[in-house]
Amino acid sequence: MFKIRSRFVKEDDIIFISHLDLVRVFERAMRRGNIPISYSKGFNPHPIMAFATALGVGVSSQGEYIDIQLDKEVHTEEFKTTLNAVLPKGLKIIESKYISKDEDSLMSIISRSLYMVKFKITENIDFNVVHAAIDEFLSREEIIEEKEKKIKGRKYDVKIQRKNIRPNIYQMQLLSVEENTVILKMNLATGSVANLKPEVVVKKLKEDSLLPIDVESIRIQRLELYKEVEGQWVTPLDVLKRI
Amino acid sequence: MKRVDIEDILYTVEKPGRYLGNELNSVHKTVDENTIRFAFCFPDIYEIGMSHLGMQILYFFLNKQENVFCERVFAPATDMEDRMRRSNIPLFGLESRESIEEFDFVGFTLQYELSYTNILNMLNLARIPLFSKDRGEKHPYIIVGGPCAYNPEPIADFVDIVILGEAEEVLPEVLEVYEKYKGRHYKREDFLIEVSSIQGVYIPSLYTVEYNLDGTLKAVKPKYEGVPERVQKRIIEDMDEVFYPDKIIVPFIDTVHDRVMLEVFRGCTRGCRFCQAGMIYRPIREKGLERLQELSKSLLKNTGYEEISLASLSTSDFSNLDKLVRHLISEYEKDRVGISLPSLRLDNITFEIMEEVQKIRKSGLTFAPEAGSQRLRDVINKGITEEDLRNAVEKAFSLGWSSVKLYFMIGLPTETNEDLVGIKELAYMVVDCYHRTDKEKRGKGLNVTVSASNFVPKPFTPFQWVPQNSLEEINKKQKTLVDELRHKKITFNYHDAKTSFLEGVFARGDRRLSKVLAHAIEEGCKFDGWGEHFNFDRWMRVFEETAVDPSFYANRSRNYEEILPWDHIDVGVTKEFLIRENEKAKEGKLTVDCRTNCSGCGINQGFIGGVC
Repeated sequence: MFKIRSRFVKEDDIIFISHLDLVRVFERAMRRGNIPISYSKGFNPHPIMAFATALGVGVSSQGEYIDIQLDKEVHTEEFKTTLNAVLPKGLKIIESKYISKDEDSLMSIISRSLYMVKFKITENIDFNVVHAAIDEFLSREEIIEEKEKKIKGRKYDVKIQRKNIRPNIYQMQLLSVEENTVILKMNLATGSVANLKPEVVVKKLKEDSLLPIDVESIRIQRLELYKEVEGQWVTPLDVLKRI
Repeated sequence: MKRVDIEDILYTVEKPGRYLGNELNSVHKTVDENTIRFAFCFPDIYEIGMSHLGMQILYFFLNKQENVFCERVFAPATDMEDRMRRSNIPLFGLESRESIEEFDFVGFTLQYELSYTNILNMLNLARIPLFSKDRGEKHPYIIVGGPCAYNPEPIADFVDIVILGEAEEVLPEVLEVYEKYKGRHYKREDFLIEVSSIQGVYIPSLYTVEYNLDGTLKAVKPKYEGVPERVQKRIIEDMDEVFYPDKIIVPFIDTVHDRVMLEVFRGCTRGCRFCQAGMIYRPIREKGLERLQELSKSLLKNTGYEEISLASLSTSDFSNLDKLVRHLISEYEKDRVGISLPSLRLDNITFEIMEEVQKIRKSGLTFAPEAGSQRLRDVINKGITEEDLRNAVEKAFSLGWSSVKLYFMIGLPTETNEDLVGIKELAYMVVDCYHRTDKEKRGKGLNVTVSASNFVPKPFTPFQWVPQNSLEEINKKQKTLVDELRHKKITFNYHDAKTSFLEGVFARGDRRLSKVLAHAIEEGCKFDGWGEHFNFDRWMRVFEETAVDPSFYANRSRNYEEILPWDHIDVGVTKEFLIRENEKAKEGKLTVDCRTNCSGCGINQGFIGGVC
């Protein structure tokens, strides 16, 4: 049994498919590429593969990760070229490495994402004004996200869940404000312990700062996913156990 | 033509994957002034349309021709439609993202009557005039085919060309004629008259219809000499020669039937008297084993699908089923490719095959006794017995199945309360069979699902003359079944009687229904097959305002002398045969499978040489 970890990009039209759709796209690509993937046992055998995290519909990414289990060893370069030849446009494997079978799952190790976020503001506002608004936003100890949660067993009733999202924002860096378009970088918590989506931050920023943000214009690109190793932030392909 | 810009909209609508158009194996072509642009429209949402085998076949068939570019169009979901209308975006071909307004042909497949309003709504969204008489030189020809095209009269005022029978034969001939006209100034009617002489082409606008005072038809006559009085459907004799794609489009998003569909035969020999498909798709034509093996190989390789479905009207009747299934298992078990066998009959299902198939992927079991009593099953010529059902479920339970679905129809001709009680008795019998099966062998958690759909009499069936049950009758019968089927292991589902009523109206409707449809979309009727969109009261208002009595079409008993709206269409099965079958139904007499003995339906007279 062999385990291969790959970094891939998701861009162009394919960003509009959901995570579940993406899983199917990979499964079928493996079959078309004749990649000797391992299957689960049971009534409904599935190819054994696992993603780091689900990417939202409409979000592109330069740094997605997938672990795939193989029955036979295939050279990593061959694996990459074969799979890229059968993946649809917009999905591309960038790098593949064999990893130890003792390596922890992607889902359990990742804890941060770096995003590039773009949105429009409906008035012409100066860079410094936006910058100040973000600084003010980040200076708060608490930024409360209110979420409607369905109450189990009851169809129409919801309860409001309040959550402080400030600790999950590690960094927000304003890059530019040009022609009413704001571009910033965000470093946010991602993963099973804490997870924060960029659009939630932008919507909150609009609410709290009164910047005239057009929330329909928010465009998000994930640049990288990180795990923490001894206080350092590295990608899931770095600092691996010896095979 | 300019591309529509939907990029921003994609971020705001549900399931934007529906509108991308660049799925695996989709065809994209460079267009020049000689390219014939063809929009293949399915009048329902993407997930339904992409599950339709016929669209996949014709898409690749048309695109095989170098000068033809066929694209797909589905009914946009309501959120997408709202966005499009707000942003002034016309209906577009998925592949090119160009408006279909000036395409050469806009084709619709007519799979069910309740999609008619969607057709009109799509034309409206495409900015194409609804009525064929209002369309001019720059507009496309609206061309339709599919099962409902055999009685296209309710939409006759909107369509230009109706294809009867197998489009793989007819379409190339229509396009060949069109090539002569394309790019020139000409009268649309000249082109239509010319194609009307092709077998399998029906041009509704070339016929006049007269009515009697009682509302029935008096005559349907061609307007010009040379236009055929009766239009014959077209058939392909050799299924090994007919085009079949070696790849199909693989959707990105989940659809209803997301798998390789391999058609093993066309037609059906059983002769169930309620079944329109069994009559209009005659004669039976099987594909050869070798061809099917070849096709399955390339289809699986080119799609990467994990499942292959053997499609036909009655797959357990396929003569090479055993050999084909064994071949598929031995070739593709290693890739965990599951095999699905829909449309199995109770009386000839082979459990040896089912067992093999289950080893790869587990699936449910569905049977269709259709009626609850032997008497009524004989009336509809279903030809299966309680014994068949008992044997099948006993075997299934002993092989580890624990979940069985049973399909029935209610509202069949001559149905009484006893027949309904028969449905209950069959369901209870199945429950008993489970309990009598060895605990070691049977699966855990018995579930018997009983589904009752409402019988809708269809053209070209022996029941084309019978009245459909009224809403009150159906509601009463459904209530009886709800009461009878209270059992914790039995789940009972039934269909909405109101949508069946509307289906019945349009199934046997005539040309006067076109104005009803036109008014219905003004009133906002669309997606009538979807519970959340269907509005019965609005429909009743539309009938009232257009002064058309829907029960005239649905609930009236016709006599054999009456001219029916589809009488000028010849599907090969003769009226004499249908009358004979209807009379036998009244006596509860069976007609044998035509593989055993020719029942003289007429299809081998003139359509094919002598024998089926």
